[in-house]
Amino acid sequence: MSAPGPMPPTAIQRTDATAIRWIDATAIRWIDALAACAAAPADPPAPDAPALLRRWHPDAQPNATEPLRVGASAGMRCPPALAALLQANTLIDDVDVAGAAVVETDVLVIGGGGGGCVAALTAVAAGRKVLVVTKFGLGDSNTVMAEGGIQAAVGAEDSLQAHYDDTLAGGQRAGDPTLVRTLVSEGPAAIRWLIGQGMTFDLDESGHNLRRKRAGGTSVPRILSTRDVTGLELMRVLREATLLRPGITVWNRSPAVELLSDAAGRCRGAVIYSLYLHRFVTVRAGAVILTTGGAGRLHINDFPTSNHLGATADGLVLAYRLGATLREVDSFQYHPTGVAWPRALRGQLISEAARSLGAQLRNGRGERFVPELSPRDVVAAAMLREIGEGRGVERDGCVGVLLDTPGLERARPGVLAQSLVSLGHVAHKSGVDPVREPMLVCPTLHYQNGGIAIAADGATGVPGLFCAGEVAGGIHGRNRLMGNALLELVVFGRRAGAAAAGLAQAAGPGGRANLDHVQDWRRALVAAGLPLDARAPLLFPEIANFDLTADRAPHRAPHRAAAVAA
Amino acid sequence: MDALTRDQLAIEPARVLTAPDLLVGSSLPGWHAAGGGIGLRRALEDRAGIIGVLERAGLRGLGGAGFPTHRKWEAVAAQPGPEKVVVCNGNEDEPGTFKDRFLLGRTPHQVIEGALIAALAVGARQVVMYVNPHLGSVLPTVAEAVAAWRADPVLLELAAALGGPVTLEARASSGRYIGGEETAVVAWLEGSFPFPRRKPPFPAESGVHGKPTLINNAETLAHVPHILRHGAAWFRSRGRGGAPGTKLFSLSGDVQRPGLYELPMGTPLAELIEEHGGGMLMGRAFKAVFTGGPSNTLLTADHLDVPLDFDSVRARGSRLGTGAMIVVSEGTSIPRRVTEFVEFFAESSCGQCPPCKTGTYQLATLLHRIDSGHGTRADLDSIRQLCGLLPGSGRCGLIDGAVTVVASSLERFGAEYESMLRG
Amino acid sequence: MIGVEIDGRSAQAPEGTTVLLAAAAAGLPLTGNVGCMGQGVCGACRALVRRDGAATAETVLACETRAEDGMRVSFLDRFTLPRQAPYDETALADGWAAYERMLELFPNAQNCRHCSGCDRACPKGLSVQTGVMQATSGDFGAAAETFALCVMCNLCAAACPESIAPNHVGLFARRALAASQRPTDLIRRLHQIVTGAMAVETTP
Repeated sequence: MSAPGPMPPTAIQRTDATAIRWIDATAIRWIDALAACAAAPADPPAPDAPALLRRWHPDAQPNATEPLRVGASAGMRCPPALAALLQANTLIDDVDVAGAAVVETDVLVIGGGGGGCVAALTAVAAGRKVLVVTKFGLGDSNTVMAEGGIQAAVGAEDSLQAHYDDTLAGGQRAGDPTLVRTLVSEGPAAIRWLIGQGMTFDLDESGHNLRRKRAGGTSVPRILSTRDVTGLELMRVLREATLLRPGITVWNRSPAVELLSDAAGRCRGAVIYSLYLHRFVTVRAGAVILTTGGAGRLHINDFPTSNHLGATADGLVLAYRLGATLREVDSFQYHPTGVAWPRALRGQLISEAARSLGAQLRNGRGERFVPELSPRDVVAAAMLREIGEGRGVERDGCVGVLLDTPGLERARPGVLAQSLVSLGHVAHKSGVDPVREPMLVCPTLHYQNGGIAIAADGATGVPGLFCAGEVAGGIHGRNRLMGNALLELVVFGRRAGAAAAGLAQAAGPGGRANLDHVQDWRRALVAAGLPLDARAPLLFPEIANFDLTADRAPHRAPHRAAAVAA
Repeated sequence: MDALTRDQLAIEPARVLTAPDLLVGSSLPGWHAAGGGIGLRRALEDRAGIIGVLERAGLRGLGGAGFPTHRKWEAVAAQPGPEKVVVCNGNEDEPGTFKDRFLLGRTPHQVIEGALIAALAVGARQVVMYVNPHLGSVLPTVAEAVAAWRADPVLLELAAALGGPVTLEARASSGRYIGGEETAVVAWLEGSFPFPRRKPPFPAESGVHGKPTLINNAETLAHVPHILRHGAAWFRSRGRGGAPGTKLFSLSGDVQRPGLYELPMGTPLAELIEEHGGGMLMGRAFKAVFTGGPSNTLLTADHLDVPLDFDSVRARGSRLGTGAMIVVSEGTSIPRRVTEFVEFFAESSCGQCPPCKTGTYQLATLLHRIDSGHGTRADLDSIRQLCGLLPGSGRCGLIDGAVTVVASSLERFGAEYESMLRG
Repeated sequence: MIGVEIDGRSAQAPEGTTVLLAAAAAGLPLTGNVGCMGQGVCGACRALVRRDGAATAETVLACETRAEDGMRVSFLDRFTLPRQAPYDETALADGWAAYERMLELFPNAQNCRHCSGCDRACPKGLSVQTGVMQATSGDFGAAAETFALCVMCNLCAAACPESIAPNHVGLFARRALAASQRPTDLIRRLHQIVTGAMAVETTP
């Protein structure tokens, strides 16, 4: 191995798919970076967070956002890729559903991840008939991918107040205080509910208390977990509970394409497309809960994503069209430790648990450059700064910084095998032995911080329409803390489920429902000078090779459906 | 079973195994009165010549494989030591096959005598009548017949020739489809679930509890006493077009007179259907035949002239199998029948080999989707892909048989599948 | 570039890519057998693959399997399981009765014929058959450990000739065990909240 020293920098290929569009810098060769890492690093400098975020956070870059021109949140800024969908024409028209079968239910849940299951289980427990429709299979979601854990202030030295303060501060104080208070106050009850459903949590050495891990941006250890597969554990338990619960019907492979409303503007159901039947089905419901998750597959700012294939902002599009207001939709979370190399795994997540347990980040000179347990937005911005200022590391044309797993293993022998199973799994797929070799990491698009504005019971601005989970906004402000996503989907899933059940009971199922809002929406698009040929929701990203027109009529589908590309 | 009592059994002169005077049930005196015992007597007189007679007769395995019987016997005979086993395989559970149950239920003695001759030929002192217990009174009948033989002094002669006491017993098989596979027979007789095992070793080398084991289908063994009694030339003359002997055909489906027919090996398919089966049901047009298993390539109208013997059918790209002929008429959906058969295979797959179990289920799922009108071209492509990917993925031939039915139906009735696709 | 054949379609894919990404490159619609796109936790991308020259096909998760030249791939549907007896969380609530309930709810679990098909089918290499034995013998703790990293892909359920649904048996054991957890710190905190001893001051 060559000694550290001056070396000819390797230019990042601008045309390379792994390059970040707005960064133009050279990088340090992998082999030179490894050599530079031989020496123990100094402590990292304390960051000037606001300045760092302004200069290096992807959301803060020029042209990262543009104002919306129509709808209830006109004037609000959001990424162009999302704006294109929010301001698109509908996929369907009255004529498409004229002959569609009609199904009635009390509560319709759109989205089959963690939030959808919690909402469905809560609504059915209140005595309502529930239909869950999901684009893929029940549980094939971002929830199942969550590795780190779930926050709840249960520790003796912890408090609800500390959780509240951390959450609000981590979100750059942009969160809604009432929502955040609700989130943290119901955290312990949410954990109790999950245990009642049969979810396993790790216990500490005493065997009496819950094991707690430290999350970036928090004042005390507060993350409860099941090894590093917390989302998997939560999802498999809730999926089983949902599938086996009489009173809940689940339709897999059934994306929602439009919401239905009545004359009073109240949401009364949705039009579903069945990929089994290749047909539209109209579902009339007493209340509708959106749990459709986020937008990672729009590859905002050209970033790779850790998200599952269905994260295409469908819920935002449907609700916005019906009049719901949005908030912080210009704010996304870029998880610091996404895989940068090898290319085939690009964007996949390496859990924050690694840094939580002490793994350090090092640049091409072998230096630590940010306290690793700072909030995610700060860490990600610092990483992009290193890359942008020429201290990134290049391997086979992929650029990132180093996650020093060998250093962690030296400091805590055995920790990789015992506590970082998922990391080992990713490393194995990468062909890397993490005990001997660091991982090359780069921020990956991870979470939609904002979303549809909700009240504490999950109600949106549209009567009869509720939201829970990532699709909802206001809890995480402009940056989410590790472990608050799982907590949010449980707390607000339960609240939305209960509120929707109450409303559905009062209203009864079904009732008149139509697509009248579609005409208003098109008039608004035309008035704003927006084209009508762009269509949304996207349903599936481009990589999925899905064509609605072809799928509906395989024998006479000459061209791709006009869904707008991200 | 109903069909077996019908008048078609009166067809002469082919009947060797099903002649009326042989249908004596478990009565051993009845069997002797019909000429039983002579074959065994000849065998005792010229033990060394038994296998040669079978070779000259050209007897082949009638359980479906058509493997020359004498070679199987030679293989077991060549193994050293007295600890050998002969098993009569009467597990019969294939859809559309109902021949062994007739033989074992109505005329079991010729089968038992054939098994004893086999024991003599290969040097085995343990003989097991392995019988599907789910076939009405067949197993009790065999048990009674076995008890009668045990009391017959001829067993002492057999013991003397073989150098030790001979055990003869009737054992209930698992009754599962897979339980008829040779290595599964061995597993069951050893007290395990009837899982097929990897070959080699073949049972002839290492079978029940490691002993060399001869496993023959009941119909194969039933021919043996007659061959020894009447000679190889006589047996050969029972067949047509050079194919030796007779064959039991289980004719079912859309024909006027479904039933069990014993006909000369080499009888053309058209003759079986038209002359013996009485033609197509209600004057419908012939469409196809699923042969023996039904795990073979479909026969179509192009094959009506095929002589039903092992070599002729194979020459036309299919297999005779067990001799089951499931006839399908125009107006019957091939995809639906194939779906039913594949569902049967999926249910019957023993579980050891995941590609077999999951692959047959996936085939059944895709076929069902097409049959119910929701299938797309992509589903058809997926079926074709599975047909290419699965063969050879099992320890036994179940998956290969399932794929053969699906692939051949796609090849010969592809247009029918296409017409059922959505859109 | 390597050549693969997926669900009846031939495709070229770059070396080092996964079967799932190769399917996308082949233009196949990724609308059913897909979810997490590579993390290997949603279990949706189950498939049969036959490597070039291999004696048999094998069951895998497509997102975790490297595409190889000459590989043939068939995706497997999300299997509709033989109707499983429904139960809700009340079946888990009484830890003393959970074993009885499991035997009632999964009567086939005791019919295991020990074919090991589930073990061979499991893309995660879990000792599925052992796990079923542990559960049916009442050792929920051992079963919970055996199934700890199960992603519920249902390949074992599809492979099981006795329709045992091994992964669901394992999940029942895990849930029953977990539902009896009573962490002290959580109990104390819930008490503080119920009595009003702990609340949140909202700050603007």
